[in-house]
Amino acid sequence: MRRIIRRRELVADDARYGGEEAAAGTRRVRPAAEFIAALGAGHAIAAGAAILVGPTDEVETLAPHLGLLDLIVVEFPKIGEGRGFSQARLLRQRYRYGGELRARGELKRDQLFFLARCGFDSFDLAPGENLEASLGALDAFSVAYQDASDELVHVQRRPNPA
Amino acid sequence: MYRYDQIDRTLVNERVAQFRDQTRRFLAGELSEDEFRPLRLRNGLYIQRYAPMLRVSIPYGLLSSVQLRMLAHIARSYDRDYGHFTTRQNIQYNWPALERVPDILADLASVEMHAIQTSGNCIRNITADHLAGVAPDELADPRPYCEIIRQWATLHPEFSYLPRKFKIAVTASPADRAAVEVHDVGVRLKAGPDGEIGFEILAGGGLGRTPIIGKLIRSFLPQADLLAYLEAILRVYNRHGRRDNIHKARIKILLRTLGAEEFTRQVEQEFEAGREFAPQLTPQAVERMRGYFAPPPYLKLEDATPAIGGASSGSPAYESWLRYNTRRHKVPGYRVVFVSLKKHGEAPGDISGAQMDALALLADRVSFGMVRATHDQNLVLADVPQSALAEVWRELDALGLATANIGTLTDMICCPGLDFCSLANAGSIDVAKQIHARFDDLDYLYDLGPIEIKMSGCMNACGHHHIGHIGILGVDKHGKEWYQITIGGSSAAPAALGEVIGPSVPKEQVSETIARLLEVYLRERHGDDERFVDAVRRIGIEPFQERVYETNHTPA
Repeated sequence: MRRIIRRRELVADDARYGGEEAAAGTRRVRPAAEFIAALGAGHAIAAGAAILVGPTDEVETLAPHLGLLDLIVVEFPKIGEGRGFSQARLLRQRYRYGGELRARGELKRDQLFFLARCGFDSFDLAPGENLEASLGALDAFSVAYQDASDELVHVQRRPNPA
Repeated sequence: MYRYDQIDRTLVNERVAQFRDQTRRFLAGELSEDEFRPLRLRNGLYIQRYAPMLRVSIPYGLLSSVQLRMLAHIARSYDRDYGHFTTRQNIQYNWPALERVPDILADLASVEMHAIQTSGNCIRNITADHLAGVAPDELADPRPYCEIIRQWATLHPEFSYLPRKFKIAVTASPADRAAVEVHDVGVRLKAGPDGEIGFEILAGGGLGRTPIIGKLIRSFLPQADLLAYLEAILRVYNRHGRRDNIHKARIKILLRTLGAEEFTRQVEQEFEAGREFAPQLTPQAVERMRGYFAPPPYLKLEDATPAIGGASSGSPAYESWLRYNTRRHKVPGYRVVFVSLKKHGEAPGDISGAQMDALALLADRVSFGMVRATHDQNLVLADVPQSALAEVWRELDALGLATANIGTLTDMICCPGLDFCSLANAGSIDVAKQIHARFDDLDYLYDLGPIEIKMSGCMNACGHHHIGHIGILGVDKHGKEWYQITIGGSSAAPAALGEVIGPSVPKEQVSETIARLLEVYLRERHGDDERFVDAVRRIGIEPFQERVYETNHTPA
């Protein structure tokens, strides 16, 4: 059973991606482009949908439809991929997406703190990463210099910062 | 200078703990080489030709004597008793053991230093004019803004995994001693219509294998928007910069592909759209930061000495040092002293532990306990009373740090090259030594006037060869070291890229080639005041090519 970190807890992965067999307790996560195309074709989409956002997807196109979504999975297909950090901040702050925002891919515990600060609240880390040990990485730092989307981590900031 | 409070201290200590754990996991086999690489790189740790190399950050080149002593201690305790100052005002250690690096970082943290973001695809050390705060020609001290940018950039959650490295430089002087036109972002302080401080913003400059001069993308940015605008630039770059090809991943390629106009439009659009959540720089925050960079307690002194060109001290060596290694200070009675790290026989930028310790002591005595690193790999004692100059010269001379060659041909910028770097195609240190040996006559150097040689051992251009008046680039030809020569480059405003004079030359002919370039210059120059680079601009490269590639090119 695949496990993910959700809001500081280890839980069973509830997502199912293209080609994976349906299993109890999982939901299909469809590519963002497919979701946009379905909307464009006039298909009715019930609220509570889940989509997968790739590094080159423009989150601006999702902005009018965020009310239909309660899970957005942002992909990090390679070590060092960084576009998802910007996508997350835009979704959370500029477009006020309030549902679950998951980071998935070639991610280790070393990126968790930054991911959480950008607004991710669930994490599907690289296979083999020690998830129990990873939970602690959300508290790698107790202070920060910048404002961000800090719901999940607790950082102290200077009272009168830049 | 900036002093850490509890927030800064905690951040640096927690970073040490994080890196200690990352190193432990790598050594225990929990992290593969590929997984560890981006983690160690963003903490300045390279695996080099013979050993790891650790690059320590010196924000905008400013060091206290306490910090300099710690750098000496690290050189002695963890390395081979020397350090190497770089073109980005940092220091590198070439021989630390990987497993001891966390201890080095802990030692650095104890004196408010770190190696955070000195490498890797993130925002690197913020560099600045090494004469900030003392230069007579500056609009205002740029360092408070450098520190504000440094803090904003440090462990920035959104911009820590960029397509490629990102370098920001700040200047407040029209002379531009920080080479802002060849940085990913260049920030120039500028007075607004009512005299208020704002900024001119350049983007997309850089050297490497595709050298490009930065483009002006904002002619006046209000102070309050500095970080918001940087954030907009970084977001456009992070989202749209290429990640499929490491050689096309810098912001300069994005800017060139989009065109400056379209790039600027995207940045401005992002800047407007992002206002709600972007950081705003309050006047109070700037004032608070300015307080850290208040002028030291200068004495009221007469601007009496030095009588350069006036009454002789009786020591020609001292007179030369005074003329070449010191500069005017904006406060009467004081002078800026350059500490030359370009002595014949030494690798440019190298300094021993004992020299660092002695310099720290000297700084405590005569320069308010502060030292600066310059981007051309020298050090500076910025606030020396003129009455102490003779004593400072004697001490520096005894330390081997008073070679009177600042701004002359042998004040070369030079990367570590093949001797240390695993990227290099050719040696640079031994070529620097060859040039030193050939041009060791100071009177000849003085006659040549200001001339900048910059040398890189590969096209990554750490030695800034494109913007040298004479640039030297090491290339590999069938396993042999050859050197491509460019002339006419400049880092000072207006920046310019040098032109290649022709086929590369073998190693043993580099100094002969330079001798021929200089011969043409001395023949062609207009009066004594026309610099080499100005002569090249006036007459073009052809006369130089003719002389260099004449037949019977005799080996040096």
